[in-house]
Amino acid sequence: MIRDITIGQYLPGDSVLHRLDARMKTALTFLFVIMIFFCKNFLSLGLVAVFTLLLTVLSKVPFRMMIKSLKPIFIILVFTAVLNILYTGGGRELFGFWKISITDKGLYTAGFMVIRIICLITGSSLLTYTTTPTHLTDAIERLLSPLKLFKIQVNTLAMMMTLALRFIPTLIEEIDRIMNAQKARGADLESGGVIKRAKALIPILIPLFISAFRRAYELAFAMECRCYHGGDGRTRMKQMKLSARDFAAAFCVALLFGGIIFLNYKFKALI
Amino acid sequence: MTPVIKAENLTYIYGEKTSFEVAAIKNINIEIQKGDFVGIIGHTGSGKSTLIQHFNGLLKPNSGRVLLDGSDIQESKESVRAARFKAGLCFQYPEYQLFEDTVYKDIAFGPKNMGLGEDEISARVLRAARFVGINEELLSKSPFDLSGGEKRRAAIAGVMAMEPEVLMLDEPTAGLDPRGRDMILGLIKEYHEHTGSTVLLVSHSMEAVARLASKVLVLNNSAVAMFGTVSEVFSRGRELMEMDLNVPEITRIFIGLRDRGLPVAASVYTNEQGRDEILRVFGEVAP
Repeated sequence: MIRDITIGQYLPGDSVLHRLDARMKTALTFLFVIMIFFCKNFLSLGLVAVFTLLLTVLSKVPFRMMIKSLKPIFIILVFTAVLNILYTGGGRELFGFWKISITDKGLYTAGFMVIRIICLITGSSLLTYTTTPTHLTDAIERLLSPLKLFKIQVNTLAMMMTLALRFIPTLIEEIDRIMNAQKARGADLESGGVIKRAKALIPILIPLFISAFRRAYELAFAMECRCYHGGDGRTRMKQMKLSARDFAAAFCVALLFGGIIFLNYKFKALI
Repeated sequence: MTPVIKAENLTYIYGEKTSFEVAAIKNINIEIQKGDFVGIIGHTGSGKSTLIQHFNGLLKPNSGRVLLDGSDIQESKESVRAARFKAGLCFQYPEYQLFEDTVYKDIAFGPKNMGLGEDEISARVLRAARFVGINEELLSKSPFDLSGGEKRRAAIAGVMAMEPEVLMLDEPTAGLDPRGRDMILGLIKEYHEHTGSTVLLVSHSMEAVARLASKVLVLNNSAVAMFGTVSEVFSRGRELMEMDLNVPEITRIFIGLRDRGLPVAASVYTNEQGRDEILRVFGEVAP
């Protein structure tokens, strides 16, 4: 179960998407997510879907991995679809009994929402699949650096994110270990009602927190021993440089944006 | 007599059907008799921990089976749960599993899960605590206030309190100083002698295994390399060294002596045996 979480997972590769500058990639992904919400009919959303599919093929991320990243939101998808089918008013009734009526508009809206969410997750997963966590946090740090004007310590934020990402696998391993140790003492994690199961988590969560704090202290000491004193005045080993490739990518996204606007106004809006 | 643990063609594969597929243990067949003290040795990654996690049903083998007292552990959900209590497993660095607000409650966690009555639980907790040398006044303290060695012993008591037929310990002395190490090993030995239960000790320290165990199981490359009495295994000291395993210091010395032409026995693994062997050999040469 725990191993199904793919957030922040990086898949090494050498595709065009892998080679894009992380700052550009992050900014474009952000724009892409906003654009998805600009779509007003199936044609513009279709354009976005085709674009997403194209990116997935370009990234050479296996399709299986893409499906895996959608798995955790499967329930949300089903929920969205059902709610939209049942509660969208108007349109021609296709099927009805008692208080439930299903209209063509309801079905369209449900389909629209589901495709939108899939594009959203796929598009943003592509960013983490093709960017190493270090590059990603570097990019975020650079993109957020204007916030320094408001006395926000962007460096510290970025370091915190790097560390958080770094420790996800470590903590998963730790959970596995503690769970096994408690199971060996007869802890029953699989049966019983909600309350019993919640209680069964205590023997796992307490040792987990304690070890997380212990690790945090050790890490802080280790960082201080290597003279870390916050981000001010630190230079980088790897300088990030924008290349022609990055501007080409920006151009593609701009084109997509144009396409969406055009299709939105040329054809009638669905919602 | 039915062996207390019997492994038949036991195989376990990590990450099956992925590109990371690795066999952690391959085709293991062993029988462990009741009352044995088995030392399990092998390199990191040789499958020691994986193997013992099959004996209490934590891991389900990909093929083969484990018989505990003659019945298959993985037969049903109940039999898996019963195996947890029959074969108590104490993991590496067990102090990281402590979680209750008092030492008493933590030691009582296992017996409580067994569904025992209050009186029985309290009797077992006190017995286990006495065994590992945890004073009664410590029992009402928070486990997080104990010293490192005390935490380790409290955690071991947590497994002992289940009074399992088979006690399995994975590297119980890892990261302890020599005094703490001797103390833990001493109490394990005492537990074995006193209760007559079967003990499985995974260890890197050959000296500890040579001193405590009655049988030794050597794992190499996920398979059983040797399994026999301590003297049988250590008489093959040269093979052990070829597997890059440490043999007791004294065994190494006697292998060296034999290489230099002294007619000493090959299976020397304690200092006392070494002394007697030297006396015997020189007794013959120069009376």
